[in-house]
Amino acid sequence: MRLHDLSTTALRGVTRNRSRALLTMLGIIIGVGAVVLMTSVGKSMESVILGQISALGPKTIALWPGKNGPEMGAATLNPDFDSIKLSDVEALKRLRTVSNIAPGIFIEGKTTYGTEETDTRVMGASPEAYTNQVVTIAEGRLHDAQDEFDGRFVAVLGPDTARDLFYNQSPIGKRISIGNHKYTVIGVLEPVGTQFFQNADERVVIPFETARIVSGRTYVDMVSMQSTEDPADAIDDIQWLLRRRHKIVPPATGASTDNDDFLVRSSAQAQEILSTVSISLTVFITMIAAISLVVGGIGIMNIMLVAVTERTREIGLRKALGAQGRDILLQFLIEAVTLTFLGGLVGLIGGLGVNALIVAIATRFLERYIFAVNPIAIVAALLMAAGTGLAFGIYPARKASRLNPIEALRYE
Amino acid sequence: MTSSKTTPLIETIGLNKSYVNDEVETPVLHDINLSISSGEFVAIMGPSGSGKSTLMHILGFLDVPTSGHYNFKGASTEEKSEDELARIRSASVSFVFQSFNLLPRTSVFDNVMLPLLYNSATRVSERKDRVMKAIESVGLTDRATYLSNQLSGGQQQRVAIARALVTTPEIIFADEPTGNLDSTSGTHVMEILQNLHRSGHTIILVTHEQMTAEHAERIIRLHDGHVISDDRAFTRRIAKRGGQIK
Ligand SMILES: Nc1ncnc2c1ncn2[C@@H]1O[C@H](COP(=O)(O)OP(=O)(O)OP(=O)(O)O)[C@@H](O)[C@H]1O
Ligand SMILES: [Mg+2]
Repeated sequence: MRLHDLSTTALRGVTRNRSRALLTMLGIIIGVGAVVLMTSVGKSMESVILGQISALGPKTIALWPGKNGPEMGAATLNPDFDSIKLSDVEALKRLRTVSNIAPGIFIEGKTTYGTEETDTRVMGASPEAYTNQVVTIAEGRLHDAQDEFDGRFVAVLGPDTARDLFYNQSPIGKRISIGNHKYTVIGVLEPVGTQFFQNADERVVIPFETARIVSGRTYVDMVSMQSTEDPADAIDDIQWLLRRRHKIVPPATGASTDNDDFLVRSSAQAQEILSTVSISLTVFITMIAAISLVVGGIGIMNIMLVAVTERTREIGLRKALGAQGRDILLQFLIEAVTLTFLGGLVGLIGGLGVNALIVAIATRFLERYIFAVNPIAIVAALLMAAGTGLAFGIYPARKASRLNPIEALRYE
Repeated sequence: MTSSKTTPLIETIGLNKSYVNDEVETPVLHDINLSISSGEFVAIMGPSGSGKSTLMHILGFLDVPTSGHYNFKGASTEEKSEDELARIRSASVSFVFQSFNLLPRTSVFDNVMLPLLYNSATRVSERKDRVMKAIESVGLTDRATYLSNQLSGGQQQRVAIARALVTTPEIIFADEPTGNLDSTSGTHVMEILQNLHRSGHTIILVTHEQMTAEHAERIIRLHDGHVISDDRAFTRRIAKRGGQIK
């Protein structure tokens, strides 16, 4: 029998009982739909988080006061912690493995311009922070070493903060109040979007030196820097230095916890955490897919066995008219594969549809959330669906092909 | 055609068939010795259960004998695999069943097309023509697009005949083709078979009605699986008139 005849015959077998075909495919539809949906969401989330990490630059290292948790991701940050002193920052500057040391202090207090008021994070940071966090100027200028040195009362605004306070007016040269002090606006930053679920465009940056004077602090809330070579070496050096200065006993080799009063992370590490998360997500999805495809496959096998019994006379007739065992085998096998492949296709479209819906909602909250699909997952899901048809269709198809034509014709 | 005169189309020598169910052996056919030439119109008669259908299935390669020999066109058919038998069925024989056996919810056209799908000798471009010719020869051209279940019993049986002749087989087997039909439709079906016989097809008709069997030129009678008589209509007619052969 020609392949074309086989496929039209098989397709007629499928379409002869549409509602049953649809019900049969349900397991496959759900399985493939879930896989497509979850891999797409996973990929979208990955692009959100990866986008933020790569925005930090691969060599960026951040240091905060805080305690390490048992797992890398579970560390606790404590903004009131005063473990990282100004003298520690000076000591860090002498390390060869890091450069571009940028200490930061968060300032309390409302930011106002006339009657306009916003609730933004105000951070005193040295100009090196701009390079570490890869932010660029849209209007005016960034503050420089001279502003630092003089401890000038100047401010650089995030674009959302600028809009909140000034609408369409240019803020450059205007004087705003932060707490009890007045600052001259010298620049507005280019938008960067959401970073780690916070709007990074809502911020005010003032010189570190100014923040230190205003707050009277002898400790900092964070330090960002660049590793000059391998980020892992830089982290080792920072740990060694701070443990010695803070008189902390280093943890035994291989221990998962330490007594450090600081946290140090490289963006490379953050990427590692992310890929661990995405691997376990992939394993999870694969398991769901495997289970639903097996369940769907058993459904297909069941319905194909019913079809073989129901159509025993048809099989006998086809054999009497000259069909060979192979023709019958292929007819039922193609029918099963068509069922699962169509189910896979419907699941794919459904999964993409739901994903589009999620994207439409998520983009309102996460600016970098994009419609992402994992083409490998789609191809794999469709192939798996068709493979399920093949694997679970073979038994009923063999059974059909081995029917004795006379007995089949007599079957009531 | 001279070779088919010397070598019979169908030849059985000491053919036996018994069914075995649950270790119980039921003998059905005993020592069948038959010779049928190309172009004959043979009726197989006998009471119910005498083994007519069983014999027809064996002669039509749907079943195999338990012992004895069946030679087709002079060649032994023993030791043939199921697929080889399927190929012979596809190339050389066709069946018309008592219960029509059309595909349900399928058009007349597609039903008649069915044997061509399994017949590798027919080119795809020829198919449509041959199907329409077969439908025309049973007088159903205006019903070609009807679904099989939208036809009367007589029409369904004519579709089955169209399906049987679309591959232009050497032998058409018909098992009680008029059994489910009223006399008018039955006569119509028999006329079609007569015409096929006249155009050169070998027809083997199974029936238990004398009236129907009279259409054939040779009647083989079975009783309890034995051939009890095998005579030619020609002989019968002469005998009826009280005359002599030659
Ligand atoms: N699969 C089978 N297993 C056991 N016995 C069978 C089987 N098929 C047929 N028989 C027996 O073989 C005998 C002949 O059956 P067959 O169908 O050939 O009779 P028939 O002459 O065609 O009868 P009818 O005129 O009623 O169609 C019957 O006694 C029947 O019971
Ligand atoms: Mg019978």
